[in-house]
Amino acid sequence: MIIERFIYYLGLHLTMRTKLLLKKIQGTQNIESIMETLGIERSKATYYVYRLRRQGYVKTKRLSNNRRLYNISFENKLGGKSYYEIINKYSPVKITTQEIYRVYGKEPSLEETLVYAIKTQRLRIILASLALFKKVENWPELYRLAKANHIERQIGVLYDLSRQIMGTRKMTKRFRNHALPKGDPSFNYVVPGLRSKDFQSIEKIWKIYVPFNKSDLEDYK
Amino acid sequence: MISIEKQQGLLLAISKKLKKPIRVYAVGGTAMMFLGFKDATLDIDLVFENKEDREVFKEAIKSLGYNAMDATIVYGGRPNRPEMFTLGDERFDLFVKEVIDFIFSEEMQKRAKQTHQFEGNLILKVADPNDIILMKCATDRLKDLDDAKSIITNFKVDWDLIFKESQNQKELGKIRAMFDLGYFIEKLENKFKMQISKKIKDDLWGALETEAESKKSK
Repeated sequence: MIIERFIYYLGLHLTMRTKLLLKKIQGTQNIESIMETLGIERSKATYYVYRLRRQGYVKTKRLSNNRRLYNISFENKLGGKSYYEIINKYSPVKITTQEIYRVYGKEPSLEETLVYAIKTQRLRIILASLALFKKVENWPELYRLAKANHIERQIGVLYDLSRQIMGTRKMTKRFRNHALPKGDPSFNYVVPGLRSKDFQSIEKIWKIYVPFNKSDLEDYK
Repeated sequence: MISIEKQQGLLLAISKKLKKPIRVYAVGGTAMMFLGFKDATLDIDLVFENKEDREVFKEAIKSLGYNAMDATIVYGGRPNRPEMFTLGDERFDLFVKEVIDFIFSEEMQKRAKQTHQFEGNLILKVADPNDIILMKCATDRLKDLDDAKSIITNFKVDWDLIFKESQNQKELGKIRAMFDLGYFIEKLENKFKMQISKKIKDDLWGALETEAESKKSK
């Protein structure tokens, strides 16, 4: 019991030291910036990076001039993949967010990512995710996910919007026919309360308000 | 002890065995690991939204070799004890909505912003650090004070939020919550010789004193 407790406290002490170091130098760094932040010599800075890397906190990028750039973050240790990383990979509109949603054991598909983005109902995330329409290939899967989350028409209206500002993959007729509003449903929103001045014709087709005006989409030009 | 990497492997293995998708809240050492407050834990404390989800989870861990153990060994005769399962020195404490004298309230669920999805079936939401302190106060086991200290030294604790949540707990019928919190804070101060917000102590004991006085006048 005493030994177990000693090991526990030793572990706690070492964890605290690492956490303190992590806190001081987290973010994007090179070896010089670490030396300056901590006021230490190059050899010690290299040792600290080595120690943090061994624990999984460091991602390294070797630049063309053979210099190394480090991304030091607790999130690196968590592993998995975030929906935001996927959106940022494909979109010219980059997202930074405090929110953490990580997926383990599988690579989230573009279709899942698109549905996740629309479900957030957050303007910038949806704006960034429009770029995914360039890459979506599995329309049956997208329809299945959209139907399960009751956002078929939202996907439809954002697809038509994307077609007006960039080249996208073509939506299958089957998706379109199934997703188009039947009867006379009431208008709904992508982002509650937001509607467009510039895309009213698409809004009428899908009975969904578009949350963007033309000026919002300049990053796609 | 189970490390972050081992824990992720374990949760993935559980996800593969689950019969249906479930959402669960991590409230103890597991939550602290996801938030970066510790590197390893002995107990994996989880709160389920309903008994059915806990049953599905139990079946999955049993199929991985975990065995049920008697919760009174750890929690004594306290109410709302978890169902406990163990394999080697790892242990699952599985609660449904209520954690001893506290409820994992809707407000706490909303504050659990961090989400980790293991394949398709297991969605694990991580409790807010302020709420973890309340849950530590609820379970009040040997290492809970150490864990609470670790959060307090590494995170700017919102004591106002903790006080309001303890009031909310009282409104939800958990009349001991405020007293237990005050008691837990004093234990923390005494054990680690640390100074915790004077305001929360004044607020807590003040509110409890008023309550006692009101009974007297009746």
